[in-house]
Amino acid sequence: MQAVRNFILERNPKLEQLDDDLDLIDSRAINSLAFVEFIFLLEELTGESIDPEELDLDDFRTLNAIGARFLKQKAAS
Amino acid sequence: MAVREIEPIELELDRLEHMAESGYYNPYTLFDWPDAIEPDKPWMSESLTTLAGTEMWDELTREQQIALTKYEAINFFSLNIHGIRELMSEVVMRIHERTYANVSEFLHHFIGEENEHMWFFAQFCLRYGGKLYPAQPTLQADSVEHLSPVARELVVFARILIFEEIVDHYNAYMATDESLPHIAREINRVHHQDESRHVAFGRMIFTNLLGQVAKRDPAEVPLVAEYLENYLRYSIATLYNPAAYRDAGIPDALALRRRALEHPARHAAHERILKRTRTFLTKSGVGRELVK
Ligand SMILES: [Fe+2]
Ligand SMILES: [Fe+2]
Repeated sequence: MQAVRNFILERNPKLEQLDDDLDLIDSRAINSLAFVEFIFLLEELTGESIDPEELDLDDFRTLNAIGARFLKQKAAS
Repeated sequence: MAVREIEPIELELDRLEHMAESGYYNPYTLFDWPDAIEPDKPWMSESLTTLAGTEMWDELTREQQIALTKYEAINFFSLNIHGIRELMSEVVMRIHERTYANVSEFLHHFIGEENEHMWFFAQFCLRYGGKLYPAQPTLQADSVEHLSPVARELVVFARILIFEEIVDHYNAYMATDESLPHIAREINRVHHQDESRHVAFGRMIFTNLLGQVAKRDPAEVPLVAEYLENYLRYSIATLYNPAAYRDAGIPDALALRRRALEHPARHAAHERILKRTRTFLTKSGVGRELVK
């Protein structure tokens, strides 16, 4: 999960804290141009491939959702 | 679409329109499609693959190298198809807007030609590779919400232009690469010919819209420069498709992709691919030097 946080923080230097419930997409913390890289990062972390045609945006909205869907854990851990 | 806030675009397009008319061809009968690609020939120039110039390329077996040229050719054409499909739909929506009334004639040529390009790229991929790679996912809340309507118009045409110039770097080289199968050379050559008009048009409309952005609020120009710089990097990164590495039988596709993207030889290659576009952006006053 730290790698996921770092990815977002590196791209958003103005973001001071990153809440687990922050909507990463609506807040533009992850924009269209970064999204593809973000998916590759998740694939690498989980060893699971993500089909671009099947993905559900809601799985990517918050750190909590990402943790639950891809990392099988709470964002805080 | 808040196109009302944008001044009508007037460009001198007689020459380009005339060339589009006189060079018009039937793509459905133009090509001689062979039944198969010769098995030992690369599908794209080896020097244009994403591992070219690195030890990662040298470490591949000859079989993997050929397979990589095959799957990266399919990736390159797939990127073309999806990229232009999305951007073309933006152009279709504008074709009878008042702002674009004076360039509507050329936009018709553009849309018609791009439709044909999508067809022959897909033919190549489906006939010989049996597939296209899927489009990259895009987000609804997009990356231009912080920009004014006129800057967003600029971004639409800038994306088309940048995309076309990057693709043309590849097409121009492959059009004359004798190591390629004839059909691959032909597709690249024909595309290169049409795209020279599109790029000429793209630069004209870019200059017009950038002028409008700067006139409305010069402070917005660096924001556009930042967007464009991100878009250039994004475009380069899409050439590195882990699915293509996997299909070529290369292990650890994601780690390989990261290593390749960071490799000095690849950075130098990216500079070459983007050179023409960066020079144009800098001359236009919206180059990466504006990005903090
Ligand atoms: Fe095209
Ligand atoms: Fe084009």
